[in-house]
Amino acid sequence: MLKSWQFWTVMGVIAGLTALFIFGFSVNPKVVKSPLVGKKAPAFSVRELNTGEPLSLASLKGTPFLLNFWGSWCPSCRDEAPILEAAHRKWGQDAERFRVIGIAFNDTPEAARAFAKRFGKTYYLALDDEQGTITLNWGLYGAPETFFVDHEGVIRHKKVGAITWEEVEENVTALLQAAEAR
Amino acid sequence: MSRLRQRAAALGLALALLAGGLAFAPAAQALTGQEKEALYQRIIEDLRCPTCQGLSVRDSDAPLSRQIKDKVRRMVEEGQTEEAIKAFFVSRYGEWILRAPKNQGLGLVVWVLPGLGMVLVAGWLGLRFRRNRKHKPDEAAAPAEASAISPEQRERIARDRRRFEELD
Repeated sequence: MLKSWQFWTVMGVIAGLTALFIFGFSVNPKVVKSPLVGKKAPAFSVRELNTGEPLSLASLKGTPFLLNFWGSWCPSCRDEAPILEAAHRKWGQDAERFRVIGIAFNDTPEAARAFAKRFGKTYYLALDDEQGTITLNWGLYGAPETFFVDHEGVIRHKKVGAITWEEVEENVTALLQAAEAR
Repeated sequence: MSRLRQRAAALGLALALLAGGLAFAPAAQALTGQEKEALYQRIIEDLRCPTCQGLSVRDSDAPLSRQIKDKVRRMVEEGQTEEAIKAFFVSRYGEWILRAPKNQGLGLVVWVLPGLGMVLVAGWLGLRFRRNRKHKPDEAAAPAEASAISPEQRERIARDRRRFEELD
């Protein structure tokens, strides 16, 4: 027969393990929080896919932006392509106010251009280098991934997987409100 | 020689010996090609493939893993330490990019808990065993106690025996 303190110790251990078990099942193992959220965006420098126009993080100072990583080989990128184009048409027409930027990786210029043409992408598109410098600096797991960066260059949100219109609207609205409130 | 001069001479000799020792001390060794390769292999084994998360970067052929391998190789060639290289990836991907948790902070729990659990269980079993041995009944008395029958039980046994004999 267990003494009182032994009984409550065992009960406490079982309760603790049960709570840990429940917590574990409540967490989605596919969702890994990025350590970059809340931190300054890593620097990058690219050239536009067709025109060669340069763009860097430094040149975006004071402008919030959406940075989408994609590839012509990526099926989910096809699903979100119209959403990103619509976001550009709604908020990105004034480049001083907001930018939509797409960086393809593990891709070729020809395949990336063909993809952009097929899905009617008109916003700024570029290609990461063969070493994946920007890809690794931004901590990518795969494609597509979308980052929302505020006017101070701080990453506010990261989405892994195809983005929805609701997510774009919610995050872009927040970024614009923060920029206008400064 | 006065005491002050003796002390000055001793100090000068000590400094001269120290300087000489330092002059002949080996310079910090750069890694050899074999050591760099071993370091590279160790790091890519310890990093998790971001795409195929069940695999190490070393075992994965995913494009991102290939790029990580290239990056690690360049960083090793640049002379960066294992800690600095791993810190680079942890800062971008988080702790989960390391296949083994760090032995500090919350990661320390993972390292310590299993061993601690085994020690506690072994200790508890040991205590129970000792307690059971202390309270184990005297073997000589046991048979006597087991065979001790109360008068009521004897009466009942006799009654039941008579019933069975009557049935025969």
